Amino acid sequence: MSVTRAEIQRIAALAELHVDDATAERLEAELSRILDYVAQLQELPEGGDGDGDTRAVRLRRDEVAPDRLEAPPADFAPALKQGLFLVPRLGELDRGEDESP
Amino acid sequence: MTDFRAAASAAAERIAACEAKGTHAFLAWSGEIMLEQARALEAARADGPLAGEVVAVKDVIADRWFPTTCGSRILEGYRSPFEATAVRRLREAGALVAGKTNCDEFAMGSSTEYSAYGPTLNPVDPARVPGGSSGGSAAAVASGAVDMALGTETGGSVRQPAAFCGIVGIKPTYGRVSRYGLVAFGSSLDQIGAFGKDVRSAARLLAAISGRDDRDSTTLDRVPLSEPGPAPTSLAGTVIGVPREYLPEGLHAGVRAACDRVLKKLKELGAEIRDVSLPHTKYAIPTYYIVAPAEASSNLARYDGVRYGQREDGGLADVRAMYRKTRGAGFGTEVRRRIVLGTYVLSAGYYEAYYGRAQRARERIRGDYAKVFAGGVHALFTPTAPTPAFRLGENLADPLQMYLSDIFVCTANLAWVPALSLPIGRDQGLPLGGQLIGAMEGESTIVRIAQALEAAIDKTAEVR
Amino acid sequence: MAWETVVGLEVHVQLLTRSKMFCGCSAAYGDPPNTNVCPVCLGLPGALPVPNERAVRLAVRAAFALGCAVHPRSIFARKNYFYPDLPKGYQISQFEEPLATGGRLEVVSPERGPFTVGIKRLHVEEDSGKSFHDRVPGMTAVDFNRSGVPLIEIVSEPDLRSPAEARAYLTALKQVLRWIEVSDCNMEEGSLRVDANLSVRRSGEPLGTRTEVKNVNSFSNVERALAFEQGRQIALIEDGGAVEQRTMTFDAATGDVRPTRSKEESHDYRYFPEPDLPPLVLAPQWLNDARAELTELPAARTARFIRSYELPEYDAGVLTGSRAIADYYEAVVAAGVPAKEAANWVMNDVLGLSEDGETLPLSAAKTAEVISLVQAGRVSRQAGKRVLAELAQAPERAALEVAQELGLIQVQDAGQIESWVAETLAAHPAEVERYRRGEVKLMGFLVGQVMKRSKGKADPKAVGAALEAALTS
Repeated sequence: MSVTRAEIQRIAALAELHVDDATAERLEAELSRILDYVAQLQELPEGGDGDGDTRAVRLRRDEVAPDRLEAPPADFAPALKQGLFLVPRLGELDRGEDESP
Repeated sequence: MTDFRAAASAAAERIAACEAKGTHAFLAWSGEIMLEQARALEAARADGPLAGEVVAVKDVIADRWFPTTCGSRILEGYRSPFEATAVRRLREAGALVAGKTNCDEFAMGSSTEYSAYGPTLNPVDPARVPGGSSGGSAAAVASGAVDMALGTETGGSVRQPAAFCGIVGIKPTYGRVSRYGLVAFGSSLDQIGAFGKDVRSAARLLAAISGRDDRDSTTLDRVPLSEPGPAPTSLAGTVIGVPREYLPEGLHAGVRAACDRVLKKLKELGAEIRDVSLPHTKYAIPTYYIVAPAEASSNLARYDGVRYGQREDGGLADVRAMYRKTRGAGFGTEVRRRIVLGTYVLSAGYYEAYYGRAQRARERIRGDYAKVFAGGVHALFTPTAPTPAFRLGENLADPLQMYLSDIFVCTANLAWVPALSLPIGRDQGLPLGGQLIGAMEGESTIVRIAQALEAAIDKTAEVR
Repeated sequence: MAWETVVGLEVHVQLLTRSKMFCGCSAAYGDPPNTNVCPVCLGLPGALPVPNERAVRLAVRAAFALGCAVHPRSIFARKNYFYPDLPKGYQISQFEEPLATGGRLEVVSPERGPFTVGIKRLHVEEDSGKSFHDRVPGMTAVDFNRSGVPLIEIVSEPDLRSPAEARAYLTALKQVLRWIEVSDCNMEEGSLRVDANLSVRRSGEPLGTRTEVKNVNSFSNVERALAFEQGRQIALIEDGGAVEQRTMTFDAATGDVRPTRSKEESHDYRYFPEPDLPPLVLAPQWLNDARAELTELPAARTARFIRSYELPEYDAGVLTGSRAIADYYEAVVAAGVPAKEAANWVMNDVLGLSEDGETLPLSAAKTAEVISLVQAGRVSRQAGKRVLAELAQAPERAALEVAQELGLIQVQDAGQIESWVAETLAAHPAEVERYRRGEVKLMGFLVGQVMKRSKGKADPKAVGAALEAALTS
């Protein structure tokens, strides 16, 4: 199963990873090889085996009891102003949603 | 009462001596901080089950004293504002945390060579890798710096380094130890595991941190493990299965010789050895290398420079440029490879062919174990790794080659069952590990068998 | 060739819980930025989600109220995408196995009357933080207080046929969700958000390409935006063009709908089951308890009001505008006020005094007190209104006391009224004569004269009766 350069770029974009040409070329070869290897799973018949996931999640009581943040955002935020986390403007990510109330 | 301060000072000397040899087991450690902890434990008159023990912690586990870098540039200098449940339980048990150990970046690797901060050397042979991804913790114990250390497993990352370094490593049943505060790699596989200079140390460490945690929904109702008892002198009545897929034709001669020696010893101890089969073993690596990268690609999306960690934003046009530059610069080669692989197998049009199929393969692998244990077997014995520790640089050219070194260990992660590696001899001076795999929640069984075996064999003896 | 519009709505509604969906942080609105945050809702390395029971309970309640099939086993899933206010780079939601499917909502269309809108699915998920684009120049500022607040997403079938129907659906949906106390559905505070999907086709043709319209902040704007988009699509096709599947954003200032800058291909969400959460399994008893929490729903109550109180449809509709109003009305009736009287008073006077048309400014018992005074003739209806207004400001006071203080008590004393009547008749002999000869219309004039003589203080009913008596003797 070979992965094309275009697909590598598309996937890298989905993963918000900058991938230069040399890396893309390398990834093309490596990924193709890995995907060929994992393709042997196709030998297995369709359909599951067994009951599936029989666990059940535990639900938490609705009360205000936050996990401890032992240092405030100011201690670890790369950019904080007026208590808000700052990032560069949206640009291409803009979903056209105005400042919410 | 325990002399915590003496423990702290002694530990500082031992660590300094080991690191002076260039092992680079630690990314951060501090005598001062240990002394601070000692004073606090003293003031609290602490006397838990690990009182006075000094434990090293793999750098993918969050604590409040040291940075948590995960061996990555993207978290360089990051200080977690909360501590992992496992670390809290260590403190509550009276242990001192010596520092954070080196690992493959975000726990992705089998040699610790993918750490952004340089590799760790195998204390037994510094030209070789200590294994990975928990190589730093394994080396810390193997070099005598500490007696106990926490590592993590996603695809064998405690057992394999334990084997390469000649120490004991235990992976618990999935959900036995809380993952709250463990930086996620493959969420349905990850578990914190224990290294020890011997079985008893590792088992004691695991017991102290184990048990249900309301902050981790996947711990379900798992009870804490009890302290290990005395080593049994006989294994009469114990049935040990040997899955034929794990002793293939062409297995490394030294590894085979070591295993034969163990099987002979187990029989002498009174155990019944049974030939069994785990027929879907061959699908383990392909399954693992779909599931783990897929989950990782999602788990690592949070490293975007917005709320913490490193950020590249000098003169950038927009936030997307910030994401791409930050992640491109902050993540190393192997991490980027796995993110791309993981994103690919989850993407539209490929999900069923890869991730969907892998989940079904996983069910079959689990089914193999269930059948074998339902048939009256108490534990399985296999080699831990297909070879002794390889040389630094040897497997870097071909990632697939690196992945194949996990072949004997990753089924236990996929099936959620507990597994342990203990040293079973040497081949030309290099340690070899033997693996015991238990049924779901069967940690105490494999610990017991391991204790008996450990007492009966010479772990440093040449096997051929 | 007739054009047909097809609309489907995705509504996100915040649930009325104290804490967030996956952590114990407060879910309150309006606190200073980034003060209701923790490792989990900030997406810190090593954090893990733990689901909120009440959120699930409210979601199930909503699902039952909308007639959905609630699935005892459902799966949380990750929806992966990058956005500054999405801390983990994925949202925990539900995908292939949601909590509920297959419901319906009765809506009254302005164009075709009552009809049923199918509810395709209802599932539970977490909210993202909020991004602000105008706080700091050239930057986006993010507040994670909202990150992790519990939401239900309600997806309708594409059964709506006009912008007006879309609005009617939203109104009906809001009424139900508020009624059962699942959400306050306040668009201004962001506790209800709408994404609208619209396509057009010529009658008989297959479904057209749809666009998704976001960023509408009120029900009337939903209608406006859809009307604009409907017009745009029709004009485009009539011009020979083709509709592109795009996300569109509404500009409240101009009423335009235009494409957003984000590209479609980035919407590969790579859904997979959330590995940090085992399946959501709900026991039969738990589900029964949740279902039992549902009281009579708005539509049923409206029907009952029409039936039992013999109210016209419009009145019944107003009186079931919210559960609070409906309960209030029935309390007034229970206090002894006849149903139609009570309806008039509550609809016109009580709600008229309300600042927002919803909050009831005084108790049902108080209102009943005032109405009794009027019914007994102690005060006129006009005076009663004044007393009511007074009481809205001072609800602890007694109605009679207020009426007395304001000098509004009507004179009902028979002797006094007879005296005024006698005086009036004496003063208007011509009109009396004309009345006796058959001009019964003059009763009105005579009553008015007696009222004038009494300076408005006489009880008009008593005056009428006394005049009748005097004129027929």
